[in-house]
Amino acid sequence: MRRFKLPPQILRLVLLTLGIVGTYFVARAVLTPPSFGKYGWYRGAALEELAARTPVYAGKQACDECHSEILHKLAADAHKTLSCEACHGVSREHGENPDILPVKLTGSHCIRCHEANVSRPAWFKQIVVRDHYSGKCVECHVPHQPNQTP
Amino acid sequence: MTTEVTNVIVEVLPRFEGYVYPNEGTAHPLWGFLIVLYPYITGLVAGAFIMASLVRVFKVKALEPVYRLSLLTALAFLLCATLPLLFHLGHPERCFEIMMTPHLTSPMAIFGFVYAWYLMAVLLLELWFDYRQDLVQWSKTATGFKGIVYRLFTVGVTDESAKAVELDMKMGRILSVVGIPSAFLLHGYVGFIFGSIKANPWWGNSIMPVIFILSAIVSGIALCVFNYMVLTWIRRHTVDMRCLDTMAMFLFYALVVDAAIEGLDWIHRVYAAEEGFSVMQTMIREKLFYTLNLGQATIGTLLPLLMLGSLQLLRKRVPELGRRRMIFASAAMVLIGVLAMRWNVVIGGQLFSKSLRGVMGYKLEFAGVEGWLMGAVLLSLPFIILTVLVKLFLSERLPSSEHTPQGGPAA
Amino acid sequence: MKTPYNRRSALATLGGALAGVLTLTVARPLKAAVQKVFVSSGAPRGYDPSKHKWLMCIDTNKCIGCGLCVEACKKENGVPEGPYYRTWVERYIIPKPKPGDGQTRGETLVDCPNGGMHGFPEPPMPKSQIEHSFFVPKMCNLCEHSPCVQVCPVGATFDAPDGAVLIDPTYCIGCGFCIQACPYGCRFLNPVTKTAEKCTLCYHRITRGLKPACVEICPTQARIFGDLKNLVPDDPIQKFYEQNRVQVLKPHLGTEPRVLYAGLDKEVR
Repeated sequence: MRRFKLPPQILRLVLLTLGIVGTYFVARAVLTPPSFGKYGWYRGAALEELAARTPVYAGKQACDECHSEILHKLAADAHKTLSCEACHGVSREHGENPDILPVKLTGSHCIRCHEANVSRPAWFKQIVVRDHYSGKCVECHVPHQPNQTP
Repeated sequence: MTTEVTNVIVEVLPRFEGYVYPNEGTAHPLWGFLIVLYPYITGLVAGAFIMASLVRVFKVKALEPVYRLSLLTALAFLLCATLPLLFHLGHPERCFEIMMTPHLTSPMAIFGFVYAWYLMAVLLLELWFDYRQDLVQWSKTATGFKGIVYRLFTVGVTDESAKAVELDMKMGRILSVVGIPSAFLLHGYVGFIFGSIKANPWWGNSIMPVIFILSAIVSGIALCVFNYMVLTWIRRHTVDMRCLDTMAMFLFYALVVDAAIEGLDWIHRVYAAEEGFSVMQTMIREKLFYTLNLGQATIGTLLPLLMLGSLQLLRKRVPELGRRRMIFASAAMVLIGVLAMRWNVVIGGQLFSKSLRGVMGYKLEFAGVEGWLMGAVLLSLPFIILTVLVKLFLSERLPSSEHTPQGGPAA
Repeated sequence: MKTPYNRRSALATLGGALAGVLTLTVARPLKAAVQKVFVSSGAPRGYDPSKHKWLMCIDTNKCIGCGLCVEACKKENGVPEGPYYRTWVERYIIPKPKPGDGQTRGETLVDCPNGGMHGFPEPPMPKSQIEHSFFVPKMCNLCEHSPCVQVCPVGATFDAPDGAVLIDPTYCIGCGFCIQACPYGCRFLNPVTKTAEKCTLCYHRITRGLKPACVEICPTQARIFGDLKNLVPDDPIQKFYEQNRVQVLKPHLGTEPRVLYAGLDKEVR
C-alpha cells in the first residue's frame, strides 16, 4: 500500500494554521477576564464595581435622623412630595458632619418651580413673579408648610 | 450657533434646524471621517479581489495582465484597513477584546475573524500559491533585503516539480472560488452594521448591505483600472487595450447594477415617504447637497455611465488615446463618487436626528484624528505599500514563470 | 516494524514533556497575574441582582419642567459639562391651528435648552395661541430587547439581571455602535473616559436601598421608581401602572421599552 504523503506546501500550511489557531485559543484563555460569563455575556464583576460608587445625594431618609420634626410638618402640607436636597442641595457632608452647613434657600429658588409657565400643568400652583410681589417669598410663605403664614 | 474661537473645553455647537436629541448635539458626529474611510478601503479590497477572481473563476483571459496587480492592490489596502478603526476607538488598547470575547449578536464582532480569515486564508494564500514557483526561483538568485523576503515567503517549501505546480494552480482556483463569498462577507458585514440599525431610518434597511457590496465592486474595478494605467505610465509601457477595454466593460455593467439598486433605494424612500422624510429632504437639499447631488450622483454615477456607456456603443469609432483618457477619467470619477457615497451614508445618517424632527450640519476639520489631513494620510498609505509590493513582486527585472498569467503590464 | 529508539528521539520526547510541564506550572500564575488586573473591589454586600426588578415610570401630567432631575443626575454621576445627558426634559408646544386652516393643531415645537437643566424660557408665542404644552422627561427606556446590548461587539454593555441596562466602563472599547443603535438617544460618548455612558438607574444608590437621584429630587413625583419583585403595600409604581393607561416611546421598533409613560401625545417621539 502506498503511504499517503502530504504535499510539502500543504503540510507547511497546516502546521502554520495549527500554530496560529492554537495561539489564538491560548490568548483567549489568558486574556478573558475571570468573571466573564457569570450572569451573561459580560464581566460579572462590573455589577459590583458599578454599585461600589459612593452616592452623592444623601436622600430624604437620611435627614429624618435629626430633623424628623421638620419632616413631620413637611408631610402634612403641600410640599410633602419634595426631598430636602431639592432645595437645600447636596447634603451628604452635612449629614456626616453637622458643622458643615447645607445650601440655604434663596428667593430665586422658589421661582424655579413656581414661575408661571404655560407648559406647566394647570393643577400646579404658579405665579407671574413680576405681578405677584417684589420682595422675598419667605416674608409671606413658610417654605416647609407653604399653606401657612409666618 | 457660535463659530467664534473657543477653548478646548467648550464645545462649539453645530448648526442645527428643528429639534435634535440633546445627546446628538455634539460638535462633530460620533462616527466621523475615519468611519467613512473604513468601508471605502474594505470596499476597494473586495472589489479588487472580485476583479482578480474574474480571471481565475470566470476565466476572462483578457484580464490576465492585471491579475497579479489586482491581488497586490487588494493586499495593500487590506493591510491598512484596520487603521481607521483603531484610530477611531475610544480605547484602542482594548481592541483585542473583540476577538477574545466577541459578542455574537453584534455584526461588528465578526470583524476580527473575517479580517483574519480574509487576510490569511484567502488573500495571502492565493497570492502565495500563485507566486510560489516564482518565489522559489527568485529566492535562488536575489540578494540582500529582497532575497530575505523571497526566501521567507517560500516558507521553506522549494518543490518545483510539475505536480507541485499543478497543485498550486488547483489551490489557487479553489481559493478564488472561496474568496468571492469571503469578499462579500468582508465588506457586506459593514453594510449590515448600518443596515441593522433600526433606530436610524437613513441606515436601517435591508438594501444597505447590497448597496455597499455593489458599490464596493464598482470602486474596486475602478481602482484596478487606475492602478494599471498609472503603473503602465510610470514604466513607459503601452497599455494592453484588450485588457483595458474589458475592464471598462465590467466597470460599466457593474456601475449600471449599482446605480439601479441605489436608485431603487431612493425611489422607495420617495414613494413610501415614511415619517421623517421631509427632514431627509431638508438634509439632502441643504447638508448633503454637494456630496450627494454633485459627488455621488453626477461625478460618481452619471458622468461615468455616460462615458463608459458611449464607449460600449462606439468602441470601434473612438481612437485609442481617446478611449484611454475616457476610461481613466471614468475610473477616477467613480473612485471619488464612491467615497462621496460612503460620506453620505455615514455622515448623513448622523446629521439626521433620531427625533425625526431635526437635522444637523457638519464641517470636516483639517487637523485632528477625524480631520481630512488624517484621511489623506490614511488613503495614501496603501499606495505607498502597493509601491513596495510592486517593486518586490511585480518587478520587470525578475522573470515570472510561464504557467502563470503575466504579472503586470508587459513591454 | 520496530520503531527505532535512538538517543536523539528519546531526548526530544523527554524535552517536549518537560517543556509541557514547565509551561503548565508557569502558565497558571501568569494567567492569574494578568487577570488580577481585572479583579474588582468590594460593593454593597448582600445585594442579589436576581431578587430585584427595577422600573421607573414617568407621569408627564405631573412634570413641571423645573430641570432639577437633570441637574441632580449630572451631580450624582459626575457627568461632564456639555451636551452629555443621562436624562433630560423636553418641552412640547402645540399651537392652535391657523383660523380657517381646517386643521386641529398648528406645527409642533419641541425644545430642550441644555437638556432642560436650568428650566425653560418663555414660550415663543403667547398663551392664547397655545393649544397644548407639556414636558416629557426622557431617559434610558430599559428595553426588554435592548438594541444597544445586541450590537455591542465585546459584551461591555448588558442587561443586568435586576432590570438595569449597564455599561462596564473598564471593558468598553468606545466604538460607539450602541450609541448609534439606541432609538431614544439616551447614550453618549463620555469625552473624558472615551467610553459609552448612559443612565444606570443610579445603580450605586438602588443597590443600597436609596432612590435614583432624579426620583429623589423630583418635586412633584413625576418620576416613579419601584421594585417589581418586591412591591410594598400602596406601592406608587403599582398604583401608576394599574390606574393609568400607559404608553411607551417608539413601540413600532420592537425594543419593548419597559419605561411606561402617562400623558403622552401623538407628537412625542
